[in-house]
Amino acid sequence: MLRAGRRHELRVNGTNVIVTVDSDEPLLWVLRDHLKLTGTKFGCGEGVCGACSVLIDGEAYRSCAVTVGEVASGEEIVTIEGLGRPGELSKLQTAFIEHTAFGCGYCTPGMIVTAEAFLSRNPRPSRAEIVGAMDDNLCRCASYPKIVDAIQSVAGTNGKTES
Amino acid sequence: MRLTRRTFLELAGSSAVYAFTFSCSGGAGDIDETAVAVSKEARYFVDYTEWLFIHKDGSVTAHTGRIDMGQGLKTVLSNVISQGLELPPDKVESVLGDTGTCPDDGPTEGSSATRIVGWGYWRACERIRDHLVERAAEVLDVSPKQLLYRDGAVVGREDPALRLAIGELADGTVHLATIDPEAPYTSKTPYVDRRTANVKGEAIVTGTLTYVGDLFPGECSYGAFLLPKYHTQLTRARSADFEAAANVPGVEHVERIGRTALAVGDSYRAVQRGLDAMAPRWKIPKRGRILDVEAEIRGGAMLEKTIEDRGDPEARFTTSDLTLAETYTTQYASQVPIETETAVAELEGDRATVWASTQAPFKARRRVAERLEIPEENVRIISMPVGGGFGVKVDTRAPHQAAQLARASGRRVKLVFSRAHQFVGRGRYKEAVVADITSGVSAGGKLVARTVDLYQDEGFGTTGTYDIQHVRTRLYRARMPARHGTMRGTSFVQTCFAVESHTDMLAEGAGIDPVEFRKRNVAMASFRPLLDACAEMIGYGRREVPELHGIGFAICHHGGRQLGAVAAEVAVNRASGVIRVERLIGAFDIGLVINLNTLTANTQGAMIWGLGYALFEEVHLDGHTAHTRSMSDYRIPRFSDEPPIELAFFSNEVKEPQPRGCGELPVIPTVGAIANAVYDAIGLRFYTLPLTPERVLTALRSK
Repeated sequence: MLRAGRRHELRVNGTNVIVTVDSDEPLLWVLRDHLKLTGTKFGCGEGVCGACSVLIDGEAYRSCAVTVGEVASGEEIVTIEGLGRPGELSKLQTAFIEHTAFGCGYCTPGMIVTAEAFLSRNPRPSRAEIVGAMDDNLCRCASYPKIVDAIQSVAGTNGKTES
Repeated sequence: MRLTRRTFLELAGSSAVYAFTFSCSGGAGDIDETAVAVSKEARYFVDYTEWLFIHKDGSVTAHTGRIDMGQGLKTVLSNVISQGLELPPDKVESVLGDTGTCPDDGPTEGSSATRIVGWGYWRACERIRDHLVERAAEVLDVSPKQLLYRDGAVVGREDPALRLAIGELADGTVHLATIDPEAPYTSKTPYVDRRTANVKGEAIVTGTLTYVGDLFPGECSYGAFLLPKYHTQLTRARSADFEAAANVPGVEHVERIGRTALAVGDSYRAVQRGLDAMAPRWKIPKRGRILDVEAEIRGGAMLEKTIEDRGDPEARFTTSDLTLAETYTTQYASQVPIETETAVAELEGDRATVWASTQAPFKARRRVAERLEIPEENVRIISMPVGGGFGVKVDTRAPHQAAQLARASGRRVKLVFSRAHQFVGRGRYKEAVVADITSGVSAGGKLVARTVDLYQDEGFGTTGTYDIQHVRTRLYRARMPARHGTMRGTSFVQTCFAVESHTDMLAEGAGIDPVEFRKRNVAMASFRPLLDACAEMIGYGRREVPELHGIGFAICHHGGRQLGAVAAEVAVNRASGVIRVERLIGAFDIGLVINLNTLTANTQGAMIWGLGYALFEEVHLDGHTAHTRSMSDYRIPRFSDEPPIELAFFSNEVKEPQPRGCGELPVIPTVGAIANAVYDAIGLRFYTLPLTPERVLTALRSK
């Protein structure tokens, strides 16, 4: 179904991939439809809710507000799928499960991606710092207290869980 | 596809099937003695709303028409069945909301999933255990008294050689039962494990849980309808540039359809661009203009019914020590699930398969059939995990619109509502409500008379919280200027805000502490320990509250016997008008807790919902225009709004061991508690929600 467009070489979850798509296509839809990485969610389409957050060179960005043309020069893109897999969860992913830090789970990938970026900059944050860093990610189930608990529980212990 | 005998047989295979319905009207709760051979019966299974299959390998699958929208039904079912039949959790599967393989169990709404379905399965398992023992006794040719059920098998009480695992009892028979989840619970088997993790947890945190939008990536078209310019929808596109739309790269199909038009294309963005290129001109609607919500609601209202009518309230008002008449109004609000309404439709001849995010798959099936003008049995709705519903997905439009798009284009089509479409095109706002309340209080601080006139269009909210001898509650059906629908807490939230604000004014007028005033007047004694717990936990009366801080209380009941009390502490910023909720305390009497993890997450979230509704959530409608079109136009609660929340769950599990539900309850009193805390802080009563900084500043200045 997908139309051919310009050829773009991307680096996603440690692998080089080629997509042919218009340069102004939002990264969100390239990830979802071209690369089948559907963990990154559409929520608002205007960079407000954070459900589509991905890491670009270690920083969290809203993939609905970044075009594929902007990231086609070797930036390292990491999606939720690149942070851990079933059976090989990151500590943060495990903590989200242990704290029931979600209701419906739809915003969760964006929450985890944003929190990973934050913890890599600030491995031992206070509760207030977590709230400040996460404040632009929205969760309508309002699992906020549990999400903060989950992030705080791994603060200072970042890394992969032994599997 | 309608359930057929053949589907059922395929599903059943050689398993033992327990098909049951829930009846809360005191049904027997016994497994029907006459087992039916699967191959001989035709339609009985359609009339039984739940199926539990025991397979030969010892695993169990439950099929229910209900869905999981984040409230944790899948987890609850896993907990309940694995404990109920003493099986490892990995032996228990559940299939939810697939109209092709699940019986119709009604929509998932009204805080009923755990209360009815979760607990119903527990009660069913109780009966199934006994029944399996009886059947094993027949097979082993011993008395049932010699056997007991343990760890997924029927075993001899004394003789370890007697043993039949449940899989060995899977013999292709069907057993029918009516289960009353609310029947007295006499079992000696207590429900114990309340802290298991969400069964979908690992998929959620790895992004591998498949929501409907995640299906067929790169392998289906996208489609959408034009977004009407006006919120009323009583409009039609007078003209649209179809040629321009068809020339947009990636657009595969455009078509006028009814009052509007559709586009199908190879990507979400191509479709949006195609619709933009149509540059439609809309006819200005003749009706539905909103200028003054309260006047418009009152103007068109007709008396619908009198809900309560006892004694002579008017006569008592004249003899009361204190009489107070007030009017409260509330705002339009929006559900705002982060996953917008989404569906994928695929047609094959006159058959349709629709994957949907819906709270009511069987309703969706009817609507798809109507739109496509095909028989209902030709439509199969497959429910996917719901990325937030909150009421708006009870009658979601995405399934039948996706089906229309698929038919128009001859392709498999994914419809993902844009956020603007979700806000404006969808509408279905939580309705604005007007409540006129007059109460009379005697010298002893006793509520003696009350009249309530409610202007609203759905339900009648909170009544009967207080013990009042002379009372009349009337419901006026309003002709709502904006299209409204269900939203978590339905009309309870609005009326509870009104009643509980009013209650505080009465307490003050009578010179009685608001907690004490409530305790004197509640209709059910069970409210008192909840109020005491809230007062205790928030330190009411035991500590100095800083200036511009205040503490407020509210109570409510919901869905029969769910009782709740909330205490809020707020701080008001005199310069900015911003109200900050500093603490929330919730005490809820909701019966048995099945899973404390999901309950706590749900309850905290629900109280934060109350906070948002009290302080800032509002859809702005002006004339025919909806100004609220995007996430940046509609403030929902965020991390920084979150106060510390403390919870206490009350239940007397000896006397009343079943769960009563708690999905919506905690939203309801939180709103009134916050409004009352604001009054305590600055002495200003607000009669309209939300309590925005503008409203607070205006009120402070005119004080």
